[in-house]
Amino acid sequence: MAAPGAAASADALFREGTGAYREGEYSRAARAFGEAAGRRPASGTLRNLGNAQWQGGQTGRAIVAWEQALWLDPFNRAARNNLRFARKAAQVEAPELSWDEVVSTWLPIDWWAWITGVSLWLAVGMVLLPGILRRRKAAWHQAVAALGIMVFLLSVPAHFGVHTRARIGFVVQKDAPLRLTPTQEAQVLARLSAGEPARCVRARGPYALIRTNRALGWIEQEQFRLVCP
Amino acid sequence: MSLLMSQPKTEIASNVVAVASFDPPFVRPGEAAVYRVSFNALEESIVWPEKLDAPAELGFRAGGRGQILHFNGTNFVPHTTFNYHLRAPRLGAFTAPEFAVTVYGKPVTVPAAQLRVVASPPASMPLAQALVFEVPETNLYAGQAVKVRVLLGASPAGQLPTLMQVQINGEGVLVDQGAARQQVGPVRRGAGTVAAYIYETVLTPLQTGKLTVFAQGYSAGNRYFGPLTGASGPGPMLNNLPQFTLLDSEPVELQVRPLPRQGELPGFTGAIGSFSLEPPRLAADPLRAGETVKLSVTVRGDGNVGRLAAPLPPQVRDWQVFAATPEPLPPASPLALLTRQPPVAQGSATFVYTLVPLTTAAQATPAIPFSYFDPKREAYVDLTIPAVPVTVQPGEKGADLRVLEQPDQASAESEKEPGLSGLAPGPGLAAATLAPVQRRPWFPLVQLAPAAAFVGLWGWDRRRRFLEQHPEVLLRRRARRALRRQWRALRRAARAGDAPRFAEAAVAAMQAACAPHYPAEPRALVGADVLPLLGELAAGAAEVARRFFTVTDAARFGPDGADARELLALQPELEKVLQLMERRL
Repeated sequence: MAAPGAAASADALFREGTGAYREGEYSRAARAFGEAAGRRPASGTLRNLGNAQWQGGQTGRAIVAWEQALWLDPFNRAARNNLRFARKAAQVEAPELSWDEVVSTWLPIDWWAWITGVSLWLAVGMVLLPGILRRRKAAWHQAVAALGIMVFLLSVPAHFGVHTRARIGFVVQKDAPLRLTPTQEAQVLARLSAGEPARCVRARGPYALIRTNRALGWIEQEQFRLVCP
Repeated sequence: MSLLMSQPKTEIASNVVAVASFDPPFVRPGEAAVYRVSFNALEESIVWPEKLDAPAELGFRAGGRGQILHFNGTNFVPHTTFNYHLRAPRLGAFTAPEFAVTVYGKPVTVPAAQLRVVASPPASMPLAQALVFEVPETNLYAGQAVKVRVLLGASPAGQLPTLMQVQINGEGVLVDQGAARQQVGPVRRGAGTVAAYIYETVLTPLQTGKLTVFAQGYSAGNRYFGPLTGASGPGPMLNNLPQFTLLDSEPVELQVRPLPRQGELPGFTGAIGSFSLEPPRLAADPLRAGETVKLSVTVRGDGNVGRLAAPLPPQVRDWQVFAATPEPLPPASPLALLTRQPPVAQGSATFVYTLVPLTTAAQATPAIPFSYFDPKREAYVDLTIPAVPVTVQPGEKGADLRVLEQPDQASAESEKEPGLSGLAPGPGLAAATLAPVQRRPWFPLVQLAPAAAFVGLWGWDRRRRFLEQHPEVLLRRRARRALRRQWRALRRAARAGDAPRFAEAAVAAMQAACAPHYPAEPRALVGADVLPLLGELAAGAAEVARRFFTVTDAARFGPDGADARELLALQPELEKVLQLMERRL
């Protein structure tokens, strides 16, 4: 839970960013929303941050912000529509998700961990507690235990989907070079568009090894942003 | 199959003849010569030694080696040659001794050859044919194509030889066979010019560092300067001996550097040289939205333009651009084929892009980033294909297409064109951090808490079942607690000098300590129950207990009561008894 002081200043920054956006000062709005999101990440703040960055011509950063808004709140329809709009305008693709990652997008990321944990211990409790407390095992005990196990088994893939989806990131710089080795002099394998999705494999120094749908190579970490830093 | 069977065979069964010679056989000190060994056999069948047993001071250096097939009217006769370069250090005669080589599994003796180093060679001795390999630039960049020439000058008598099977040897280079051409022309030699056979091609270094390349080729001739020995021993000269001489050039060292990474411009696809762009041509204007149009771009320059890679199409909002296809070259003219000239002059390449305007808002084709590396300037040069102004009109659609595009009620919502939303009114769903909760350090501990609770409950249940199965444990525990409680009470009474209370507490303590042995309620026990147990513990214990029970029973049940003050003096003995009883519990 964020500290009350941080929440208060995040709200103030949110209001400042909103005012700057309405006046057309998109860079100031982006700064304010970015600071607010840094103090207390929130879905609405990140959506507004993406809007300000899009208006300022920062396609890659805007896509990252909207993805982060959906990361926190998958029910944020406006952020989802903004992503569709931006990807169509910039002609970049959405990241390809495996089935467990798709499932993990149905609910906020934190919910899956709690659902998995609560369902598991509920099932274990319904199996063990009647015997410990010397109560006769009733049918509803077993039904609740079965329900808990079912919810647990169904939520485990989404739990892993959250984990693997955390490695997804986006290129934030236009024509960012994807290099063969993590050095400045390395051969350029491809030029990546701002907003192009990739998965981070590992990092080494100022470079990160990423896999796009075209190639596997190294990119400067400043030119690439993970949805979950 | 019949065509295959009708082809002439390669003769491999005839008498293998080895010819060894120095070319020329007479040289001045310091002049170069070539030691040449030839066989009328396939190269693959010859087991050639790694090192020759030759005079060390000649400094043999391996040169070219190769095979050529000569048609003798009925069969193809193979002719394989091995060249070694040397330089005569001093006057004298040097002999390369004979040695044996395995050919087709049989030993063949290579005859000895003699080189005479004299101050004045015989005038009638023909000069050695020299192959010249011209590389205009030796400091190159990896991928930089350079035109090279292989020259073979005419003889002093004016005979113009030809070269066959010219090849450029060397690791890390690519020779463009398609760009090769040959001609006869004048070349400068010293103060004058001579006619020469000229072979031109394009060479591209692929590796960086020092690369060594040389040229070789077969010249038609009959230069033999040594005895000929066949596999069956010296014999008569064969009339159909090969007439080819393998010539090779001095090696040329190339210094190849990698392209610099700094300053690389967008659209660089590997073009190295000097290029220019002709104005791009659009196949049609005005256009209609949705219809394809071709954009032709011609690049001119030096270097191997034919191998130029087209720049990648950009991604733009109002256009769909497909990757370029190279425009095919026009068919070769018969004259060009006869003279083996390239059908068109090297130096230009045309790429054709297919574009589709998506909206009528497009006013120009997208600029296509392109750049090349100029080795003379040692820098990248921008050659972006400029935008071409166009007019895009709304596209006409057929009736069937209009029907397909008509949105139905159900899909109207989903097919609505997305647009940028307005601002969110509030921060919305917040979190402490973007990292999922399962990555935070406290989460595993929170998950372990229920586990710890269940383990604790399970342990408690096991303890409870154990106590249920062993009730004496509880009885003894209860008895110990009661004994200690009464013990404390009797000590307090002794300190206070309260003899009746002292006696009562002592009796209660003994009753509590003995209760588990029966088992019974402690208050129900009398002296007759306690004394037998005390007798087992120690000799005087029963007497001490009897006195306490007597006094307390008299105080409780007697008409006159009893004086318990004398019992206070028995406290030490009583303590010993109680210790024994506690130990027994």
